[in-house]
Amino acid sequence: MILAPLKRYARLLGSLARYTLAREMSFRGNFLVKVSVEVIWLGIMLAFYRTVFAKTNAIAGWNEPEYLFFVGCYFALNGLIETLFLENCNDFAEMVRSGDLDFLLLKPIDEQFLITCRKFDWATVPNVLMGVGLMIISLIQMHWQFDLMRLLAFCVFFVCGLILAYSFMLVLTSLSVWLVRNQNLMEMWWLFSSLARYPKEIFNQSWAEPLGRLFTYVIPILLVVNVPARVMVKSLDPWMIGFMFLATAVAFILSRMFFMRALRSYRSASS
Amino acid sequence: MEPIISAAGLTKTYRVFQKRKGVAGALRGLVKREYKEVRAVDGISFNIEPGELVAFLGPNGAGKTTTLKMLSGLIYPNAGSARVLGYVPWERDDAFRRRFALVMGQKNQLWWDLPASDSFELHREIYGIPSDQFKRTLGDLTELLNVEKLTRQAVRELSLGERMKMELIAALLHQPQVLLLDEPTIGLDVVAQVAIQKCLREYHQQRGVTMLLTSHYMRDVEALCNRVIVINHGKLVYDGGLAGLSERFGRMKLVKIEFASGSVPDDIERFGEVAHRDGPGVELRVDPARIGEILGAILERYPVADISVTDPPLEQVITRVFQESEPAKS
Repeated sequence: MILAPLKRYARLLGSLARYTLAREMSFRGNFLVKVSVEVIWLGIMLAFYRTVFAKTNAIAGWNEPEYLFFVGCYFALNGLIETLFLENCNDFAEMVRSGDLDFLLLKPIDEQFLITCRKFDWATVPNVLMGVGLMIISLIQMHWQFDLMRLLAFCVFFVCGLILAYSFMLVLTSLSVWLVRNQNLMEMWWLFSSLARYPKEIFNQSWAEPLGRLFTYVIPILLVVNVPARVMVKSLDPWMIGFMFLATAVAFILSRMFFMRALRSYRSASS
Repeated sequence: MEPIISAAGLTKTYRVFQKRKGVAGALRGLVKREYKEVRAVDGISFNIEPGELVAFLGPNGAGKTTTLKMLSGLIYPNAGSARVLGYVPWERDDAFRRRFALVMGQKNQLWWDLPASDSFELHREIYGIPSDQFKRTLGDLTELLNVEKLTRQAVRELSLGERMKMELIAALLHQPQVLLLDEPTIGLDVVAQVAIQKCLREYHQQRGVTMLLTSHYMRDVEALCNRVIVINHGKLVYDGGLAGLSERFGRMKLVKIEFASGSVPDDIERFGEVAHRDGPGVELRVDPARIGEILGAILERYPVADISVTDPPLEQVITRVFQESEPAKS
């Protein structure tokens, strides 16, 4: 019963990806510029960490290969968010302002799905691949022993992290309905993804502790990369696992309710 | 029979932010905002039976588009109720959205950078249209609108008229039973306008689709609709036949006279209100009851080259309707 609509949505996602690929190919220059920027950006990050690790064995309890894995995990997860959702969420504010949202609301399909998954941003797919590559390299460096259970757990928590990050983005996106102009969305999102980029142990110092708690328990953005990365290369408290599941479910449901509430307030700019 | 579209006391008010003048005003606006309540639609009620083709008229800002948007489920009313195809539109049930379509002349739903055929294909998947039905409908529609050769061209490279035809095809692909059209011919040349009218008329004849259409072009209305609903300032001012509209608001006949003398006599205004004057020709607005008497008097008095009596064009009638439905200014 549940499978039929799931199959339909999966097929639709495939078609949307295909059409956007056709579109992307007609703007090849843009694609190349974007990929080059991302490669340089990753290069800078790696050069910086290399320099730091030349002086020390560990940052906040993470040694070099572990940290590299963390960075790879962040890159892959953030890349997926950008590929699947970022451009769509960013378009949303403009669609509210211009009233182009109308046609998306008329389609016999879940509004949240169509609005947030409409376009597939192929230019950020290389980020995902770079992230995966980095994770594999770091696992080789640390002589990781293959462990199927761990790998499966990692995949599950990676998806949880993805859903969690998506939920935060959806809340920020929904605000566009009231703010109409929402250029701050990108900056807010940048803050969120910056928070997710570092191990949460960096907040263990005295003055940073309240911040760490805030972003772990109240707005659990720190869980997004930390939990899957820890599961794979370190150990994890069992209760943290439970909390991750809970946080993911609550964030997803609340963000959806908030989004639907926002759509109710949509005014549909005049034609 | 149950009406296919029904609205009862439909009301929508907007709170509009009033911007103050200048920088100081803008700064004060940050602290204390002033809002004005705008009643876009004010207690409108009507029923439309299956298969009807109804024109929805009113001056700019009368509330036509807002009403259509409520009937499409895009926005929520503040009061009143509506049912379309048995559904409450703003609940946006998938089954409802599968059976109706909205065409907006000033907005486009096709993907700008892709050929229309790609957008159609995506449509097929979203609506779950069976392949053979999709092919048949698409074939019929492209033929009807004469755009078979254009579907592989990027939408941004099409002319406005061609694009509108593609929009219409996209809206009809899933064979909706109710079609709402908001200014479908706006900005189009006469040829494209006629093509769209023809398509809508034939489609209506073939499938008996219920249509509600807004337009500023009376040609659209005359070509397509028998029934007219007029609103002004959010209120319903007329709901009835197109002919009845002329009777009630037109009331006057239009007498066109061309004088053989080459100029219009100075005292022509004795016979009726001058609507238009041009060289030897004049158009008089005359009470239908006095037509015989006035024609007799004119023919007796002046040498006339040509004379005709017609109903005033719908444009004039509708202008009159709008004027008469303006609330009295105090």
